[in-house]
Formats: sequence, structure tokens, C-alpha cells
Amino acid sequence: MAARVMFDPQGFQNIEENGEATGFRFRWKSQYYRGITLSIVHDIKVNIDGEDIPAEAISMTVNGETFTLDEMSTVVDPDYRWEFGEYATVNVKKPGGLAKGPHHLKAIQHIAPSYMPFPWITECVADFVIE
Amino acid sequence: MNYDIKRSVSLYSYQDEYYEGKLDLEGCLRETAKAGATGVELLAEQMIKKFPKPIEDEQFREDWFAMLKKYGLEPSCYDAFLENRIYRNRMLCLGEQVNMMKRDLYLASLLGFPVIRTLVSTPMPVIEGSLEYAEKVGVKIGLEVHAPFSLNSGWAEGYLSMIRKTGTKFFGFIPDMGIFCRNLPDVVRDKARRLGATEEGLKIVDDAFAKRVNNGFVKIKYDLDLGKANFEYRMANGMAEMMEAVNALGENPGNLWYANNSFTYSWSEPQDLIDNIEYIFHTHAKFYNVHEDFKETAVALPEVIEAFKKAGYHGFLSSEYEGGEHLRDVGVDSITQVARHQEAMRRLIEA
Repeated sequence: MAARVMFDPQGFQNIEENGEATGFRFRWKSQYYRGITLSIVHDIKVNIDGEDIPAEAISMTVNGETFTLDEMSTVVDPDYRWEFGEYATVNVKKPGGLAKGPHHLKAIQHIAPSYMPFPWITECVADFVIE
Repeated sequence: MNYDIKRSVSLYSYQDEYYEGKLDLEGCLRETAKAGATGVELLAEQMIKKFPKPIEDEQFREDWFAMLKKYGLEPSCYDAFLENRIYRNRMLCLGEQVNMMKRDLYLASLLGFPVIRTLVSTPMPVIEGSLEYAEKVGVKIGLEVHAPFSLNSGWAEGYLSMIRKTGTKFFGFIPDMGIFCRNLPDVVRDKARRLGATEEGLKIVDDAFAKRVNNGFVKIKYDLDLGKANFEYRMANGMAEMMEAVNALGENPGNLWYANNSFTYSWSEPQDLIDNIEYIFHTHAKFYNVHEDFKETAVALPEVIEAFKKAGYHGFLSSEYEGGEHLRDVGVDSITQVARHQEAMRRLIEA
């Protein structure tokens, strides 16, 4: 048996537009135990190699559609839930993307199920290499 | 007393295997049957993708009932999550919440469930406003009695008054066996050790828990502000003194985690089940770790099942494995755990 996998090991990539790296992305699973509407994802925080990413630079893609953190607050359609056990893609704007070589990611999921007195906040950490 | 105690598995138990893609919905049903259960409890939002759309699709339901038939299972309970804070800027109004509850009652009826589980955060008027519809579709609403809540408390009394006032047969309680923990689960203690807890720190917390069990827990108050109610409950049960003793040992994340986690469990007298049996139509057989000798380490399973027999319970005990979340750093085997728990319950029921 092995420890739980939170990130898709193949999912760490630079985002390229017109041959230029404009940011990076990673794929992760919700650490809460059921599928949820994106509206109850109250925050996602990303820190890469010690650098905090501003909230405006973060978006997440589920089922082919991409929503900013602000837009997620109104997403309640059944087709765009963050399904339990399925990866969602986090996109991070960062001019130039990530340099080739090893990187350290610390990302936080802040999920607020209605019934819980305290939100479900999980820190997810990964070390990966950009080839 | 004449009793009919049946065994079910809540598919919540298999969440780690589902998360890893080792089991899909059918795989969970197959394991449930292999473990010897005849009932299945479902969190539709956990294992039915694009919830709730597929449930309204006839082909999906045909497949669902075909799978149940194949594995010899009957639906026991549908776990609903009243997402009344689905929008960030407001809580749903009463009418919207009642409609959401009715939606879940309807979905449960489509899948053949006789009972839905609703959570302690469900406002009383939402339950009252849904009773007529529950009767219409023939699905009962069970309020989960989960630690830190308990039967025989001021909190439960409020709901009993409502039952007496309305005369309803469609609302009652679903006790969660986490309220019958006589000590803290060993998997929790082991995880605290992996986080760096000291034996001295663990002892302070274990002793404080034993003291709560011996003196009796101070009951939580009814308050829709669950955070406030929870904090007051912790303070009334000696949290400040325990934390002071733990902190006096110096900064230690393992000790601190164990101390905070200790309030997830509570002890009620199994007699509470007997006193309230006419309002209990489903039960979450919460468990944390069953050893090879079929002994659960925290829940007083023999005493609890004895109480159900004495009370003349007719209904399911639904295995709900919750030890896995403390093993994710080393590996989880829910399939083995559920099989052992089902066997432990079988022996006690048939004894």
C-alpha cells in the first residue's frame, strides 16, 4: 500500500501560447469526500518555489470549461462539478512559465460544505520536474 | 424483545478505493455483497457523476436495479447533503431548502431507498416543511445523531417535541456509533505518533477522554451556529485544561493534533438507544479499526448491539468505515476493514 496521490504525476506542465510560456498548470483531486459544485470551493492558494501566486492569476478547469476563482462562486450546474476522485486542472498565469528543472509546489484547497462548522482546508504539496 | 437486525454497508466506507480508481460504483456493490451485507447505503453525490441528472434517467435506474439484483442487495439509506450554503453570499431561503430536501426525497425514492439521512445542520422548519412530501413518496427523513450530538439531550428533545406535535411517522433519528466510543481509536493514536506526538502527550489526552467518559459528557446546545455550539461544547468538556497540559509539554504538532481530534468522539450510554428506539429506523455503524480478532478498538460494539437487541430494533446497522482518513500517509485497505466489521457485527447479532 502507498500514500494517497493528490496530484496527477503527468499533469505538471507549462502553458504555452504562440510558442511562449505564459504560465503553468497542474492537475489535482479534491480532498473532500464527495463531488461538489465549484460554488463551495471558496479559495485556492498556490505557492511555487516560495512565491505566492495572486488570486487573479489562478483559474480551474473542469469538464473542458475554465473558471476564475471569482467565477467559480456561481457555478452550480451538474455538468461542472468537481467530481470525487477526478482530477481538475489548475491554471496559473506566470509570464515565462517555469524554468526547466525541479520545482516545489504548495497548494491549498479551501472547500466549504454547508453543514460543516469549519471549512475543509487541505494543503497539498508536490515536488516535480519540468522537462 | 423481537428484533430484526440487518447488515448494510455505507459506500462511504470505500471512498479511498473509489478515489484511487480501484473500485467504481459496481465494484463497491460487489465488495458489499462479498462482505456479507444485504443492504447498501449510498452517498449519491459521491459516486454518481453529474449529480443529480443520471438518477432521473430511466436507463441509469434500470442499471442500478439490475446491479442490486445481481449482488443480492437492497437499498437501505440515501445520504443527503442539504447544500443550503451553495451560494457564497447568502443561505438559501426556507422555500429553497424545502425544495432541495424534496428533491433528495424524490431521488431517493427513484433509487428505491426507504430512508434519507439528513445532517444536524438541517433547520427544523425545513424538516417540518418536507414531511408531507416524504409521506407522499414513502421515504423517511432520518436526522443523523453524530458526535458531538447525542440522543437523550436537550438538542434531541427539540426534535421529539416536533414529532409529538405533528404526529409524523416520517421523521426520526439515525444514530452514528461514533457516539459510543469508550476510548479513542488506535489508528488515531498511531497517526499522532507519526506526526511526532510523545507518549506523555498522548496520555494527557487519553486521560482527559477517560475523564469525560467517566463523568459523562456535557451535552451540546441547540444552535444553528454550529461553530459556536461546537466551541462551547469543547470548553464545557474540559478542552482548556487539557490544552494547557498539552501545551506545557512544549510545541508538538502530533500532541496538538491528537488533542483536537479527541473531540470527534464521544460516549453515550447504549441505554439511549433503548429509550429512543421507536424513533430510530436506520443506524450508521461507524467504525475506525477492526483487528484480525474482529474487535473494534473504539466503539463499544458488543454493548451497542446488545442494546439494539434488547430494544427490539428492526432495521439496518450500516458499516461506515472512517479509519482510512488516518492511514492515507501509509495506505488504506477499506475492503478488509469492512469485511472484518461485517463479520464482527454478524457474530454479535447472531450470538
